[in-house]
Amino acid sequence: MALMNAKQYEESLRKLNFNVWMFGKRVENVVDNPIIRPSMNAVAATYEFAHYPEYEDLMTATSHITGKKVNRFCHIHQSTEDLVKKSKMGRLLGSLTGCCFQRCVGMDAMNALSMTTYDIDQKYETGYNKRFLKYLEYVQENDLTCDGAMTDPKGDRGLAPHQQPDPDMFMHVVEEREDGIVVRGAKCHQTGAVNSHEIIIMPTISMREEDKDYAISFAIPADSEGITYIMGRQSCDTRKLEKGTMDRGNQIYGGHEALVVFDDVFVPWDRIFMYKEWEFAGQLVEQFASYHRQSYACKAGVGDVLIGAAQTVAEYNGAQKASHVKDKIIEMNHLNETLFCGSIACAAEGHKEPSGTYYVNTLLANVCKQNVTRFPYEIARLAQDIAGGLMVTLPSEEDFRSPEVGKWIEKYYKGNAKFPTEYRMRILRLIENITLGTAAVGYLTESMHGAGSPQAQRIMISRQVNMNAKKKCAKKLSGIPEDE
Amino acid sequence: MNNIRKIGLKYCGGCTPQYDRVQAVVSIKRRLAGRIEFVSYEDRDVEGVLVVVGCPTACVDIKPFEGFPVWVITSERDIGSFVEKILQME
Repeated sequence: MALMNAKQYEESLRKLNFNVWMFGKRVENVVDNPIIRPSMNAVAATYEFAHYPEYEDLMTATSHITGKKVNRFCHIHQSTEDLVKKSKMGRLLGSLTGCCFQRCVGMDAMNALSMTTYDIDQKYETGYNKRFLKYLEYVQENDLTCDGAMTDPKGDRGLAPHQQPDPDMFMHVVEEREDGIVVRGAKCHQTGAVNSHEIIIMPTISMREEDKDYAISFAIPADSEGITYIMGRQSCDTRKLEKGTMDRGNQIYGGHEALVVFDDVFVPWDRIFMYKEWEFAGQLVEQFASYHRQSYACKAGVGDVLIGAAQTVAEYNGAQKASHVKDKIIEMNHLNETLFCGSIACAAEGHKEPSGTYYVNTLLANVCKQNVTRFPYEIARLAQDIAGGLMVTLPSEEDFRSPEVGKWIEKYYKGNAKFPTEYRMRILRLIENITLGTAAVGYLTESMHGAGSPQAQRIMISRQVNMNAKKKCAKKLSGIPEDE
Repeated sequence: MNNIRKIGLKYCGGCTPQYDRVQAVVSIKRRLAGRIEFVSYEDRDVEGVLVVVGCPTACVDIKPFEGFPVWVITSERDIGSFVEKILQME
């Protein structure tokens, strides 16, 4: 089954036995839980759209292992064209779902591991790359969703992993057995965790030799014994429990994050891709982060939805001809296309690594993500400006449906008479959803901190620009000797 | 019915299409009803391949279609010329 469809994906999730907790209770039926379900729909879309002829060219790729058609989320980039198509796929899916579709972290983890395992082998002849490629083939053949799990709790940020008062602040080895290892720790903010078949663990920071017990990478089934998922809350999440669906904003899709606790979890040797090679931890982190910073093309796709919503509400309000509204829409588009530029540029300027995997231009990937930490906030501000205060003072759908008071909402919240009041309410709810509701988790705060907080990109940018070359240019043009 | 031409159909992935690509194909099907049948681009028994792309970048790899006539539509304006070419083949 090289390409599952949405239904097959959903059925595959039902077979998993997750230990998921939310609101202090264990979730018995994860797939049908009304708060989790929209996020499952978003991942399911990555399966379904792979079968649509009009999206297939971005959604699928040819496996370099088997030569078969696979979902691009399971693919190892074989060219800069592959990298560019990955960026384009992100924008496409962002525009089709209006939210985080969760599957890019696994893709980015696998691409990073395809390079790091190869490089470790070159130094230590560990055989990790062969092991990883076998795992990759399993993922591709079964079209699995993988959670790429990097972020440890980290405890006291001023202390290295081995210095932490609580050693579990970073995922670490607690026991070595003949058949594998036992690990303990946690991974925070795990996007799409309970929609994943597999979880791929990576270290979260560069390490020194004293931290070697923390320098581990492996993949295991997401429902392995000892793993507990505690769902993160999202603003307005319980609207999904209400009678109507209008107040959700996005009628179909959503995202989720979870705290994932590993309480003495067994990992067999054939699933381990890094084991105490501490000097490669930083490389894996950097490679994953660079790919993931490219992945934020998805925000341009969500931006497409938000800009479309802002234009629509301007028309419903009857304000679409106002010059300042037109100018704000232009500014939103300018910012949104700039986001896309960064993702396309770092892909087009990618290169082939010794492993054969194509890797993004890391300077441009960091520039891309740095823009993502800012521009969605400005796009969201402009969308709220255009929408007007009604976006946050609108009564509930139940009031709108009420035989007693619904008529007043219908009457007093009508804008342009050509459009029903309900349409105006629906589009306002969508803007609310993306800019301060459940989808704002993905569109705003995750844009800020996902794939590394802003300062992480600034450090990378300062390291990677060629400052001497810039100084040389300036000195030459101003008549200063090069060596002065 | 034997005169119906089999044309392979290939879309780009549609990241930022400048027009409705699927609607464009619906329009072509309507205008060439009874003359052509769109089939998978992987079907080797075709008379040519129509590549429908959303913008002039035209990022679809057309190398797999070497040896076949390939028509590329990058905008709605190209629909008419494709229809004309098919009609001229009769």
